[in-house]
Amino acid sequence: MKKNIITLLSLFCVAVLITSCENDLPTRANFSSYEFSDLDVNGGTWKPVLLDDPTQIAIASPADVNSSTYQAELASLKSAMASLNGMQIEAVEYWTNNPIIRWNEIALELAAKYNLIPGPNPDGTYTLPNAANPAGPPPFPFAHPPYTCRMLAYLSVAQFDGLITAWHYKYEFNRPAPYVTDSSIPSAYTKNTLPSYPDEGAVLAVVSRDILNAMFTIEADYLAAKAEEHLNSLIWSGSNVTSDIEAGKYIGTEVKKIALARAAGDGMKNAQTSKPKSDSIKAAAFARFGWQWDNMESPVRPVGLTPLFGKVKMWNVPTVEEVRPGIPPAPGSAEFEKDAKELRDIAKNLTEKQRKIANWWSDGLSTYTPPGHWNRLAKEFMIKYKMNPLRSARTFAYMNMAIMDAGISCWDAKYYYHYPRPIQTIPGFKTILGTPNFPSYTSGHSTFSAAAAEVLSYIFPNEATYCRDYAREAAESRVYGGIHYRFDSEAGLEQGKKVAKFTVDKAKTDGAE
Amino acid sequence: MIDSGGHNPGHAESQIQETLNLLRMKKYLQTGLIALALLSTVSLHAQTPSDEILMKKYELCVAVAYEQGTWNEYWEGTSLRVNENIGTFTRVTLMPMVAAGITDKLNILIATPYVKTKSTGGQLAGVQGFQDFSVALKYELMKKAVGKGTLTVLGTAAYATPMSNYLSDYLPYSIGLGTNEITLRGIVHYQFEKGMYMRAAGAYLWRGQTEVERDYYYNNGSYYTTFMDVPNAVNYNATLGTWLFDYALRLEASYMALKCVSGDDIRNYNMPQPTNKMEFEQVGFFAQYYFKKGIKGLGVLTYYSQVIDGRNMGKSTNMGVGATYQFKVKDSQ
Repeated sequence: MKKNIITLLSLFCVAVLITSCENDLPTRANFSSYEFSDLDVNGGTWKPVLLDDPTQIAIASPADVNSSTYQAELASLKSAMASLNGMQIEAVEYWTNNPIIRWNEIALELAAKYNLIPGPNPDGTYTLPNAANPAGPPPFPFAHPPYTCRMLAYLSVAQFDGLITAWHYKYEFNRPAPYVTDSSIPSAYTKNTLPSYPDEGAVLAVVSRDILNAMFTIEADYLAAKAEEHLNSLIWSGSNVTSDIEAGKYIGTEVKKIALARAAGDGMKNAQTSKPKSDSIKAAAFARFGWQWDNMESPVRPVGLTPLFGKVKMWNVPTVEEVRPGIPPAPGSAEFEKDAKELRDIAKNLTEKQRKIANWWSDGLSTYTPPGHWNRLAKEFMIKYKMNPLRSARTFAYMNMAIMDAGISCWDAKYYYHYPRPIQTIPGFKTILGTPNFPSYTSGHSTFSAAAAEVLSYIFPNEATYCRDYAREAAESRVYGGIHYRFDSEAGLEQGKKVAKFTVDKAKTDGAE
Repeated sequence: MIDSGGHNPGHAESQIQETLNLLRMKKYLQTGLIALALLSTVSLHAQTPSDEILMKKYELCVAVAYEQGTWNEYWEGTSLRVNENIGTFTRVTLMPMVAAGITDKLNILIATPYVKTKSTGGQLAGVQGFQDFSVALKYELMKKAVGKGTLTVLGTAAYATPMSNYLSDYLPYSIGLGTNEITLRGIVHYQFEKGMYMRAAGAYLWRGQTEVERDYYYNNGSYYTTFMDVPNAVNYNATLGTWLFDYALRLEASYMALKCVSGDDIRNYNMPQPTNKMEFEQVGFFAQYYFKKGIKGLGVLTYYSQVIDGRNMGKSTNMGVGATYQFKVKDSQ
């Protein structure tokens, strides 16, 4: 009996060992404070996206470092830093000296959290998320790819304009960081000579909180707590005194108003149409081309996803028509049959590699969507190339404007051509990815990805080949998944590239090169 | 009591059942929604201590079981729902098994299930392939007369690992949960002097991580990794059974439950994922018959089970049939 017990105990130990060997699973980008490759001392002269000029937002001159006011702030900073608890130290480590990465992660997490399609009611009808009743059910928003790309664009543009403004005043007033003025003050982050008034972290905390709050209305408490912790970490890290932070908060507040004013009038609120409107869009396509996309779900969804997202105001493309792709091959045509056959062949002999690519890029419900996928990649490059927050903001802003323009252009094509999905045209066709609730041509993944890859290739020339290959893989993935014809993906890649050129051309003239 | 090996062909089958049970447990977990369907019944038995019985040294039993589980409702979290884009879900398992007596008190059981899934609604493709290789050791810790019957206590240790590179992150269609698993089980069996018996068993399942084909997923927060934690689970069951016709037929009724100790719920109208807190309770019946004439050592079995409650799994009805063949490799005397 004793032997048995020993045997059992040993087995138990083995089990515990095996369990404890498991990897700790990362929940965010793993990086800490780093030395910026450049401070971009001329950043205040770059051209903002929404503001005419940084001076549009006026802040007061800061108190002199020798003034009693400033000295009192320094004393208060030292006292706060002297008694940090574990949670406060953890917060400092979490936010780092490039907190835009964290705010982008928060945005992606909320996108994934809200990226759930409403299911049918017991009577077979569907209730759409309603901004007027955000708690639902279903909760508002449904953070699908159009919603998420737009959310990321406003977040990034507002962050960028806020930081250009901050940089402008930093180098106008040139008030050094507390640790420069008083060498007894430590810094939790890598020290630099960036002037600290107004503080860029405070701009980011406020503008990010407020833009995200406008996009995810029931997350107000969560976002407020995040911003509060971020603002406090600016003191706890020894980076800023209170007046630096207050000036940054003011800039954040002013910029967010301008960004949200544009958002209110960009046409997004009309993107999800009524059924009669949706039916008329479908009928117009049928009259034009002789085909139409139908939702194949049970019960049938009466309206596709955001039929009028294609009418939303673009950032850098003058008109959506000028980037609209050409007409796809008609169902039944030889060209169509070739691509339909490819889908059947792939479904029949799917390789493990193809399956893996399809899943790698699935970016479906409960994920951060394809725009989120590219934001995640952009963050990795920002860390790799040690970008400062302003450079990072510029990268996000141009990439996410291009991605949103790509989304608008793609949706324009989707509902203009109203092309049926493979599960509609190929009898008995089964897929390994779920087919989304919108027309087939062109592929959203392809369009989003090509646009993102073009901007990232411009900003990170060393990564251009990688990015363009990655975009091509994203386009292929939809063919492997059985939800797009190859001609959807090829046209989407071209379209995304064409759309992004407008953004890249604009970026080239903003003064940052 | 069910004495020694030779007379009772049921022993080998019991072992097989146990193997089945182990496998099933695994599968349940693994297959999540589907799992219920497949192995449930058999598993009940096996997981349960239905086999207090051990094969004698040098005895070998080969078996194959075919199981079909179907459901058209599933629990999204704890809320039972239908989904017309799944319709009726079916999971079929073909399970070849081998059990062998290493000593009179120690047996080894090996199984290699092949699984096929499909659904009647929607357009998602079913999958098929070999699931997990499992090996279990069963040891008799104690056996003694208590009252008018015999009390047997056994312990089982099992290890299972995926046999193919199937995708676990494709629930409910996945073949399995795609993780290594260690199970420790205690079995208490009481055999009345006539054919009746009672059995209870409890097990803990340690599961590792499963590697999926995307490097971001949401599990009450963001995860930036291709690995998912598959929750550990407890499993317990109770069985009441009897032998009839001079140990030619055995009938059992059982209750079994499996509960993950952690995990998240399926999100609204979303696909399940291997991180889910899967739970189910089921009741089942089981019958085994051993031919006393004709082919010596041949037995057949059938079972039926119904999931009665659950979480993040299908409300599955399972049916299975199987055949066992037991023989001596060489004389143990």
